[in-house]
Amino acid sequence: MEKLYVNEIGPDGVVSTVGLFYSQAEARKIVDLLRANPDRASHRYEIVEAVRHTLSEKQANRTTATQKE
Amino acid sequence: MADPVLAEMVHATGATESRHYAAVKPVIQAYRASWVKLAPYRDGPVNAKRLEVDDPLAMTARIKAKAAELGANMVGVCRLQPHMIDLGSEVSHEFVIACCVAEDYDKVLQGPDAVEEEAMRTYAKCTEIATALAAYVREMGYPAIAHHNGASEVQAIPIFYQVGFGELGRHGSLINEKYGASFRPGFVTTDLPLVEDRPREFGVQDFCMNCNVCQRNCPGDAIPQDHVMTHGIKRWLIDLEKCYPYSRLRDEYCHLCVDACPYIVKSHPETYKAFMKERKQVGYKTPKSY
Repeated sequence: MEKLYVNEIGPDGVVSTVGLFYSQAEARKIVDLLRANPDRASHRYEIVEAVRHTLSEKQANRTTATQKE
Repeated sequence: MADPVLAEMVHATGATESRHYAAVKPVIQAYRASWVKLAPYRDGPVNAKRLEVDDPLAMTARIKAKAAELGANMVGVCRLQPHMIDLGSEVSHEFVIACCVAEDYDKVLQGPDAVEEEAMRTYAKCTEIATALAAYVREMGYPAIAHHNGASEVQAIPIFYQVGFGELGRHGSLINEKYGASFRPGFVTTDLPLVEDRPREFGVQDFCMNCNVCQRNCPGDAIPQDHVMTHGIKRWLIDLEKCYPYSRLRDEYCHLCVDACPYIVKSHPETYKAFMKERKQVGYKTPKSY
């Protein structure tokens, strides 16, 4: 099975993982539902292979660290 | 079958239903029937004569006392936030009352069937509590809907975190300092004026970074080493493709990640010690009856 993370990228650039999904169709369905929420209008979404999640996580940590400085 | 991952895995075996659910024992069947039976009563008529709430703090204490009287081991309240509601569902209530019933951890020494029966007993008890509590609130003149195994539109873990029951652990369940992860949920959403509880952090996420006991005991290697971040909270996302062969595609119940979690040791030191001795004897990753 395919393993995909859906990541939510906030207006401040912080990456937050929505969850682990097992097909493009399932991941896209979640993204569509999230995009339909007006409260999340300023967020972007990415679907990435699960093996790559640590890159996003490091990116998120870097962003957070930068903000704290 | 609502779960697409499970549906695909079951289909690949040539079956039409999960082996675990197909081979359900009569006692488990009875518990499941009990929450299906109560599902139509999760909502109902609201008393037209509303009780005015001058003191939300006193009302919160009253609700918590009622839930405890009904059999809840922990009760908490928070504002219902969008991330607590199932995607695609709508719940317009302002608050959610979270109840939990602790499992009898001593059942772990009696094997997977006893553990499963206990889990289903607590789910059934949570269903009763949530149903009765929602009716109690409606009687006071406020809308209230019960959410439980029979029917629900809310997510347990973010609510449990927000009301301060505990923190998310490596095994994907919430950990409480007294009950470990051995408890089950029931909820009531309502507009009854209440006072919120607050999240409590007591070191679980840091502890889980270094404790790999659940991971070491998982027969499917489904618990990852690495975590992701979701709004500042560490999440170790369970690989369902690895979990389901043990938890859904066998006759036998698998609850090992929760049963092996050392947070239960303070309340059940002897049982935990005996259980982990058994785990060691069978080689940790092997289900007991294999």
